Amino acid sequence: MIRSRALSAPARRLLAALADSSGGWRHGYDLCREAGLKSGTLYPLLIRLEAQGHLEAEWRDAEEPGRPPRHVYRLTASGMRLAAANPVRDALAPERRPAERPA
Amino acid sequence: MISPIRITFALAGRLAPPSLRPWVAAAAREAEVISDGGRKLRFAVGCLCWAAREAAIARVRNSIEENTMPGLASGLTRRATGVACALAATGLGVVYMGSAGAPPGYPILNAAAAAFGLVGLAALGLAERRGHLAAGPFALALGLTILAVSLWGVEANGVRRWANLGGLVVQPSLVATPLMLALFTKARDGLSTLGLVIAAAAVAIQPDRGVAGPLAAALIALTVLRPGRRELTALAAAALAFAVTLIRPDASPAVPYVDGVLQTAFDAGWVAGTAVIAGSALLVVPAVLGRRTDPAATAFGVMWAGLLAAAALANHPTPLVGYGGSAVVGYLLSLIAFPGGAPAHARKGSAAPTQGGTPPDASALFAIRIRLGG
Repeated sequence: MIRSRALSAPARRLLAALADSSGGWRHGYDLCREAGLKSGTLYPLLIRLEAQGHLEAEWRDAEEPGRPPRHVYRLTASGMRLAAANPVRDALAPERRPAERPA
Repeated sequence: MISPIRITFALAGRLAPPSLRPWVAAAAREAEVISDGGRKLRFAVGCLCWAAREAAIARVRNSIEENTMPGLASGLTRRATGVACALAATGLGVVYMGSAGAPPGYPILNAAAAAFGLVGLAALGLAERRGHLAAGPFALALGLTILAVSLWGVEANGVRRWANLGGLVVQPSLVATPLMLALFTKARDGLSTLGLVIAAAAVAIQPDRGVAGPLAAALIALTVLRPGRRELTALAAAALAFAVTLIRPDASPAVPYVDGVLQTAFDAGWVAGTAVIAGSALLVVPAVLGRRTDPAATAFGVMWAGLLAAAALANHPTPLVGYGGSAVVGYLLSLIAFPGGAPAHARKGSAAPTQGGTPPDASALFAIRIRLGG
């Protein structure tokens, strides 16, 4: 379960990518690229966000004729609040930087 | 010739627990739009690893449940467990009524209600399995029914919450509200939300704080576990309805063997008292057995615990162990909240996508699965 006080860095990046689209629908592969996530990380996060009501997911027809429908995602209002409360941290924030050892 | 990508997703679809398969299908569709072959393969392999991980977790969970809950591991679904609890509670209610000297027709009516409820639950389950359970429209129709009863139903002591069905007086809100809550947890759409809002307004009109309070409590629990706009809307309506029922007078007198059962059962002897307490405790067992973060199970448990609390605090019907078929039918129908087709461990992981469920055309995934499966 994702909790606002303990969101992982991938979850924060995903939320940021979804929030950046300003309520627009996003595709899974686009989110992978923008958030820098592997597919095996992306989908569990999407599933948890959807189960907790932070994400809407639905099938949409492709824009190009003849292409199959694709699953699209966007944040709900609570998801937007969650994203706002959990901004992306620096890659190596001071509190998470590994301690330097003497050579 | 089948491409490696399709084979990878076919394997992922086969490995993944059933609740995750629509998501695997969604990932397979995404892979189709990736033009770079290497990226496409990495994407597919990542999904395969995820499916394998989820399969392993489901297997471990299955093993743990088999070792800790042998009664459930023998294939009983949580819905079946709920049915067993309902029948046992109804039976304990018959014991109470027999010990307390209730008219002979009372236990017979409760038993008949249990039979009716079982048939209704079976019909709902069948409709669900065949994909014909239109949860949203059904919930809306139920809400309108409760509203109609509030406006034109049977009135007694300034309260209008009953319907006369050919001489049989029932309380539709007690039948329909727990079921509507279950449908809402499944559908999460505008119609089921509207149905709950209408039902909340109806119980405020009646007034019936014995239903409005538990409904509000259940929606609080649901909103905490699964926050969303629709949950908040339904919660606001239920909370407002409960506030209205607190203000409006409800001077319904206690009806023997219906109201005040929890307070007076031991007066009829320890057998009657024990039957009532044990039967009441059984009502929340299906919810307690579930994952604590399962929104549907939690809402179910809070709703029925709330109805029991209302019965303990004021003159409201004591569900299942007291005389009254409406609660018996309502309890059985609301068990549709639980999965009936597979054991709980088979649904491990996150909820299946409610709005993005089955792909419009899953042939890309499942056609290969058939070939691989021989």
